[in-house]
Amino acid sequence: MYKLTTDGHMIQRLSDNAFIPFDPANTDYQTFKKEVLAGAELQDADGNVMTQEQADDFIKELP
Amino acid sequence: MPIVLNGDTGISTPMYNGAISSNAVTPVVGMKNKIINGACVIDQRNAGALINPAVSGYTVDRWYYFQSQTSKGTIGQNAGSVTPPVGFTNYLGFTSTSAYSINSTDQFLIQQSIEGFNFADLGFGSANAKTVTLSFQVYSSLTGTFGGVLQNSASTRNYPFTYTISTANTWTSISVTIAGDTTGTWVGATNGTGVKVVFSLGSGTSQSATAGAWTGTSFITSATGATSVVGTNGATFYITGVQLEVGSTATSFDYRPYGTELQLCQRYFEKSYQQGVALGASGQGNTGQTLYVGTGNTVAGGDKLPNTTFMVTKRTAPTINTWSTNGTANTLANMSGTDLATNSCTPNVANDRSFFAYNATSSVSGTSGCVQFQWSASAEL
Repeated sequence: MYKLTTDGHMIQRLSDNAFIPFDPANTDYQTFKKEVLAGAELQDADGNVMTQEQADDFIKELP
Repeated sequence: MPIVLNGDTGISTPMYNGAISSNAVTPVVGMKNKIINGACVIDQRNAGALINPAVSGYTVDRWYYFQSQTSKGTIGQNAGSVTPPVGFTNYLGFTSTSAYSINSTDQFLIQQSIEGFNFADLGFGSANAKTVTLSFQVYSSLTGTFGGVLQNSASTRNYPFTYTISTANTWTSISVTIAGDTTGTWVGATNGTGVKVVFSLGSGTSQSATAGAWTGTSFITSATGATSVVGTNGATFYITGVQLEVGSTATSFDYRPYGTELQLCQRYFEKSYQQGVALGASGQGNTGQTLYVGTGNTVAGGDKLPNTTFMVTKRTAPTINTWSTNGTANTLANMSGTDLATNSCTPNVANDRSFFAYNATSSVSGTSGCVQFQWSASAEL
């Protein structure tokens, strides 16, 4: 499970409270995109769970 | 023939001539080993503790463990406490915790990814691809033929190899020579994955291929017919002295100074904790990052904490974790070691040189005018 942060600079991986930068060379970031597209839960900064369609749209906009 | 230093002709030795000719033999020099932490000395994350991740995780530095089924083994530095081979003090040890019959798509493996910048000189993917030799010391409770693979970044070029352990519970020296791959896509001089060195602990039939030749079949992790370590409850597999070098002969292991090896590891992982202390450990006051707030002052909600600069530039912007000195995630502690508010130390921005966190909650106040936290930064391949 992942969660967006308030200012949108990083993604929080909830399993271990790691914060992942939006860096295409970061392998955790690569995994984040792959897992969310495969159905992993993504929450907005307020903790609301995104629908798969919302999550897919979000991922498509990322670098 | 003596070593001659000549201002006109350069250096002459029995093996090397400064005016390099086509048949000159370049002497073996430092940093010949493309593997980092091949002697398994550095263990920043776990400080010697065994891990059993759900899917994957890092054990000793740079060494990644992957299992396609959960709870099939434990792995860590010096697991099993056997005497390391002569010349070594550490090894990476895996112990199977079940007798698992692998299915066709299963993969259990130990892997190190080598950065493209450190592998591009081998010319893989071109007509000039160089032959490499992989050597290591291995010990297992099992005997037979074991497998592994050399693999490109996209896992679309694979060279499965085998090696034999003839005597159980005895360190055995292994050497595998592999002709460089003259085709396929290799990332070259980038911060991506130049090559992956994989040791299989059990691979399904669809993950295995014939040993001794490059194949374009994707996601191969072992050689056909290799021993499955996870197939025997209590089976052990220990490895150390891993070296990947240019040439068709294994040379002596490239022992590097501890500080050098640690810095090589820190390009991919760094922490504020002292060496020997695991991530998230409690009782770690006054050893990590301390920030002066000023007596009577507070860190207001939304305040940015000062940048933390890494000791070693990272491969890329790293993933950041922070803990209080009690091991509470994303939390500052005061100088008495008491946790302040949750999320008072939330990572915010990271690049390859530094990161900063901020106070994502309401104001907090550090006694004695200071607050403190611990952190880790991971930029693994």
